Amino acid sequence: MTRRGRAGRSGGIFPRFSVSEDVAREIRAHIEMRAEELEAEGWEPAAAREEARRLFGDTQEVARKCRTITASHQRAVRRTRKMDAIWQDVRYAARTLTRSPGFALVALLTLALGIGANTAIFSVVNGVLLRPLPYDRPEQLVWVSEINTRGRPMAAAWPNFVDWRNESTSFAGLSPLSDGTTTVLGGEAPVRAAVASVGEDFWKIFPVQPLRGRLTTPEDHVPGAAPVVVVSRSFWQNELGGRALDTYTLEVQGAQVSVVGVLPDDFGFPEGTQMWTPAEPQNQSLSRSSHNWRVVGRLAPGVGLERARDEIDAITRRVVAQATDEDPDYLATGAFTVPLADQVLGDVREPLLLLLGAAALVLLVACTNLASTLLAKGAARARELAVRASLGAGRGRIVTQLLTESLLLSVLGAAAGVGLAALVVRGLRAAAPGFLPRVGEVGIDGTVLLFTAAVAVLTALLFGLLPARRLSGMGPGEALRSGGRGNAGDARGGVWRFLVGTEVALALVLLAGSALLVRSFRTLLSEDAGFDASDVDVIPISLSQIKYATADDDARFYDRFLAELEAVPGVSAAGVVTSVPMEGAPNGRMELDGDLDKHADGEYVVASAGAFEALDIPLLEGRLFDERDGPDDAHVAVVNRSFAQKYWPGEDPVGKSVTGGGMDNFYQQRIFARVIGVVGDVRQRSLTREPYPTVYFPYRQRPFRTRYSASVVVEAANGDAPALTAALRDRLRKADPDVPVRIRTLSGVVRASLGERRFVMMVLGGFSLTALILAGVGIFGVVSYSVARRTREMGIRMALGADPDGVLRLVMSAAMRMVVAGLVVGVMGALVLTRVMRSLLYQVSPTDPVALATAALLLAGAALLASWLPARAGTRVDPMITMRAE
Amino acid sequence: MAEPSLELLKGTLDVLILKTLSGGPMHGYAVSRWLREATEEAFQVEEGALYPALRRLEKRELVESEWSVTDTGREAKFYRLTSAGEAELRSGLRNWQRYVQAMGRVLGATVGG
Repeated sequence: MTRRGRAGRSGGIFPRFSVSEDVAREIRAHIEMRAEELEAEGWEPAAAREEARRLFGDTQEVARKCRTITASHQRAVRRTRKMDAIWQDVRYAARTLTRSPGFALVALLTLALGIGANTAIFSVVNGVLLRPLPYDRPEQLVWVSEINTRGRPMAAAWPNFVDWRNESTSFAGLSPLSDGTTTVLGGEAPVRAAVASVGEDFWKIFPVQPLRGRLTTPEDHVPGAAPVVVVSRSFWQNELGGRALDTYTLEVQGAQVSVVGVLPDDFGFPEGTQMWTPAEPQNQSLSRSSHNWRVVGRLAPGVGLERARDEIDAITRRVVAQATDEDPDYLATGAFTVPLADQVLGDVREPLLLLLGAAALVLLVACTNLASTLLAKGAARARELAVRASLGAGRGRIVTQLLTESLLLSVLGAAAGVGLAALVVRGLRAAAPGFLPRVGEVGIDGTVLLFTAAVAVLTALLFGLLPARRLSGMGPGEALRSGGRGNAGDARGGVWRFLVGTEVALALVLLAGSALLVRSFRTLLSEDAGFDASDVDVIPISLSQIKYATADDDARFYDRFLAELEAVPGVSAAGVVTSVPMEGAPNGRMELDGDLDKHADGEYVVASAGAFEALDIPLLEGRLFDERDGPDDAHVAVVNRSFAQKYWPGEDPVGKSVTGGGMDNFYQQRIFARVIGVVGDVRQRSLTREPYPTVYFPYRQRPFRTRYSASVVVEAANGDAPALTAALRDRLRKADPDVPVRIRTLSGVVRASLGERRFVMMVLGGFSLTALILAGVGIFGVVSYSVARRTREMGIRMALGADPDGVLRLVMSAAMRMVVAGLVVGVMGALVLTRVMRSLLYQVSPTDPVALATAALLLAGAALLASWLPARAGTRVDPMITMRAE
Repeated sequence: MAEPSLELLKGTLDVLILKTLSGGPMHGYAVSRWLREATEEAFQVEEGALYPALRRLEKRELVESEWSVTDTGREAKFYRLTSAGEAELRSGLRNWQRYVQAMGRVLGATVGG
């Protein structure tokens, strides 16, 4: 209270006149009194004045000093008063909130959800998209890609890469890259490891300091060099036992490999790689139509993307033009470069930004909801505010007070929201969904907190400003006369209708988006993928090429192992296949009908008959492979329905002939395989991709293909694939203890392939549900308030004989008018906004009427319920009681 | 003047002002006159130097000021000690006495004994 006392006096540091006037008067008074005293001592008046001035000293200088001191004093006091006022407002706001704990709790929950959703999604966007890639000078890093005849990006052919590297000047380094999993023996136990084959320039592109040992050197990167690997620290520690490097001799794909270095954990390119090995010593295809390599590069200093692209494109066109002996359909038509970040993050950018937008919509719904609640509460507080206003609080003061309440709510809500987001982020990192790159880098850091703080302030303004301005604008007389019943709220009905309508519209947009994703997902799941994943175990197998010296040894292993598996109780079928569904399969040119000039394009899969049975791929015509199709028998093949229809339309495919083209090179000896059967189509690459024409060959006649990569698929007789895994693990260990055991269910593989869609659908669905509930709560609140306000009117109506149902209809129709308006606006908004989701939809149009109608009906239903409950409660009241209550 | 004027020690003007105001509210000129008479004009201070010192004390909230009217009907700015000012005066006095005693002990002692 001291400040009010001080401000009330005429002097003090805030005098009635300006500081300079204050100082001047004080000095003048001094000199006058001094002169009077001198006169009393007998001086002449003029001389006395002169002497008084002299004794005073430099009046200008003294005045200047005094002004400076007092001015800075005033500034300090004003600052303190402002802080005092803010602190007082905060305490007042806290008291107001604790007086209505129910409201405070709901408001905090609303804000925690809204701000938490934004914080969580932003922390993902920040970690995955915004932060620079965790490599040295990441802006110089690029992918180089070939362009195929359809104008699409395509992996590079080895000779093309060699020419790029030799002839280009735009790059400080260019490296081929091929990553996959392979079996590693010689560690603690046989293990599958993520391995990347890289070129000599790789460490120039990604400078990294090994923890132990060394990186690969140019001598390791020449044909014929002894094979070496560099491993990640975690792989070395966990799988290799962390021993001295010179104690290891690993066996990788049939070669004895030394471990020369260990890399720190903070380096991972490609993400998740455990071993890096030189690509050059491996036998490389010299064909320009065999596209096996991704190429990564670092731009030379000062070189832009455009120049690099033009150069690489020109080189590609020139060298490809000379490859006259190769099939032009499989040659590059050019090449281009893209920033590494675009390639790494391109797929997730759109869904993540979509979710961030959706989170913003949720927050808007929350803001709208709070604004209307605050208005309703504010009308009830009209009397309190009017009293404060008549006691001299200015309008600005009251607005500040009300905004402080909003800000306090918002900041507390944000704190809770950050807590929620931290939980979500921790869960996300633990789940480490495979579709999300850099998920390990997601966290709540300074940037995220800054974002949250900004969101909190913006939120407070959004939901607080309108009610604060409205309520403070009410004249004191008006509010006091109305007895604080908030009668003035009638004038605000328009605002409420607007707010509720907005809430409904926003919620509808979110619900429509979710409905579209759900419909896409259902459509996707209901598609006939051509195989049955529900009861299948998948065992990836890679055999030691030292123990199994020839491909025929591999074939004998599968003969024996498959026979053993079929004898296991509970196994109804088992087979080997080079490409499990969702893994994709190599495709290329094939020859037809015994004619080397008759070409087809198909996917190439090597399998046993048991694989078709285990996967429930139906045999449509002819027969599957059997013991008649041994290594020394005439070659046979099975085609899928698409292949048969595309290349032998209207003919019987059984008895035709086909080759495996460059995938097995038998065509060079003019060996054609006779088609013995037709099977159903399978979605091999992903559930969203249409089946591709495919040719299957028996593993006994092409055993070398199973050496690259193969899986044994096992069908459980009782449909319970997980229950079988223990028995399978046991059999595999007995069959060959050097094969790493890693059994998955095919349904798990299929589910993982839908991970990103499911993630986006779940998150958006959660957001929509939140918005739906918030909108319902908002409508409930507004209708409750309007019923409470009109109790007297309804009492009179009913006392005069009005039918309670009629009154109910009256209240509800008023509520539903704003809901319907909101729905109309929401549908229009959804029609515009859902277009941004186009790439996430499958066989569903962004303007799909079923999805829109579902969303609108759901919302309308919730709105009806939310307005019926309070309306009915209102009409149940005894008219006499309500009238006496006045 | 029989003896030459003394330089006022740094910081002592503040204590002198506080001491002056301890008798009750005074305007600037009265403070100046009282100081002049009480010290018998021993110190060589320009009268104007008092005013920045008063305002510095006000900024430190040791004194507060108010425009008012003198007995002779003149408008003047009156200064009054705050409770913080009274405390400051007490500690100023204590420090001064310790200072004087210490100086006295040294300067009154026999060197080399």
